[in-house]
Amino acid sequence: MKVKILKYIATFAALAVPGIAIAANNVALSSDVFVERKVEKPDGKTAVLLEQPKTVLPGDNLVFVVKYKNVGSAPATDFSVTNPLPKAVAFNGTSDGAEIVSVDGGKSWGSLSALTYTRKNGEIRPALLSDVTHVKWKFNRSLSVGSEGKLVFRGTVK
Amino acid sequence: MIDLTTAPKQPSAMRKAVAIFAGVSMLSIASTSANAAGTLAGTDIVNVAQASYDGPSGPITVDSNPVTIKVDELLDVTTASSNTGDVVTSPAATTQVLSYQVTNTGNGQEAFTLTADTAKGGDDFDTTFEQIVLDTNDNGVYDPGVDTVYSAGTNDPVLNPDQSVTVFVLSTIPAGAADAERAEVGLTAVAVTGSGAPGTTFASAGDGGGDAVVGSTGASSEDSGFFIIQAAQITLVKSAAILDPFSGNQPVPGATITYQLVATTTGTGTLNNLVVSDDIPSDTTYTPASITLEGVGLTDSDADADAGSFDGTQISVALGAIPGGQTRTITFQVTID
Repeated sequence: MKVKILKYIATFAALAVPGIAIAANNVALSSDVFVERKVEKPDGKTAVLLEQPKTVLPGDNLVFVVKYKNVGSAPATDFSVTNPLPKAVAFNGTSDGAEIVSVDGGKSWGSLSALTYTRKNGEIRPALLSDVTHVKWKFNRSLSVGSEGKLVFRGTVK
Repeated sequence: MIDLTTAPKQPSAMRKAVAIFAGVSMLSIASTSANAAGTLAGTDIVNVAQASYDGPSGPITVDSNPVTIKVDELLDVTTASSNTGDVVTSPAATTQVLSYQVTNTGNGQEAFTLTADTAKGGDDFDTTFEQIVLDTNDNGVYDPGVDTVYSAGTNDPVLNPDQSVTVFVLSTIPAGAADAERAEVGLTAVAVTGSGAPGTTFASAGDGGGDAVVGSTGASSEDSGFFIIQAAQITLVKSAAILDPFSGNQPVPGATITYQLVATTTGTGTLNNLVVSDDIPSDTTYTPASITLEGVGLTDSDADADAGSFDGTQISVALGAIPGGQTRTITFQVTID
């Protein structure tokens, strides 16, 4: 029991310092953020290019890409990927709709249509895209050695 | 993050840890607030994804690399006239005030250059520009000596996102402006960092260290207020009717002359404190208590409340405030000596 608690504490310490990957893992995770830039082509049509920006403006549309791969030697069971939304980003949906979301900071989870949002004045209304604080993909199977994939969601700079 | 829904029975210590963590998350949500202008310029958007799974020796959480993107400054401004409709004024009036509201609709702190344009085309006359004044005490009313006179480049108003300042443009109305004529006065606010076509970028010039990018307003906005002249003129027409002692109309000694004064006002304004007076002609004697206004007799005393008076040399009728487009008829009588 004591050993187990220590392990949980270590896990939360890792959460508190984002960006420092734990050396002893066997799943590699990478995050990329792209911005949609509209470019007018010579023929008058507008093309949408994805760029990796250093800076963005309110209203810019962002595409978040999370890549995962089991680079270890054992399957990873109970595999899930969570992306807390940066404060300045409004969730705009995923490409596959297979995600579950949270609108209360990660306390409760579900599909957006199944969630409600409690306003500051106590009013409860159906949750909206803009309420989403976390997006999560749960895999109901283990991630076998060498398998990989990517998860895509969209957001708008508030 | 650890998936609680499928985790086996949790030790109570872990429950506590989860509760604390959730509490921290709630705090960060409560502080999430975007203003109308959008996320503040200079804000870093940091994205980190987390994967969790059960490894050979228990649950493992992996953080991705963080991706950091800075929010640039959007340069946007709106100017709007604060006057509801035309501001009434009169020829040769000075320190005539038009009010405007300048709002920083961008997402960074920004200074704005103000310019007034009194030489607009398409109106009836141009005012003479006096000053631009900033509503220092923020009460929406021009307070001479209290509100600060604006000087471009010296005290350009610095506005936070969504913040507004009331600006007064003071004008002198030309003496030659005629009744019902209008004058347009424009006020333009331009972001000091830069303006131009939307999308124009000023590298590293943004509030918070990013770029500054011109927004949909072009970082320049103008609106106009209007003056309208309300003036009134008066015309006096005097006529005389003679009644001699022989029921004729010869101007012989002893004949009575009834003078009629018709005052007609024209224009859209109002004449205040209008007083009509007339000297009694020489070689005639005023007939006491003969003044009438609109057919109603008036007294000769200046001390009573009624409008008429006779001071020994002239009659006088105080008409008060008479708007344009009205007539007043006054009569009085004298006898020829």
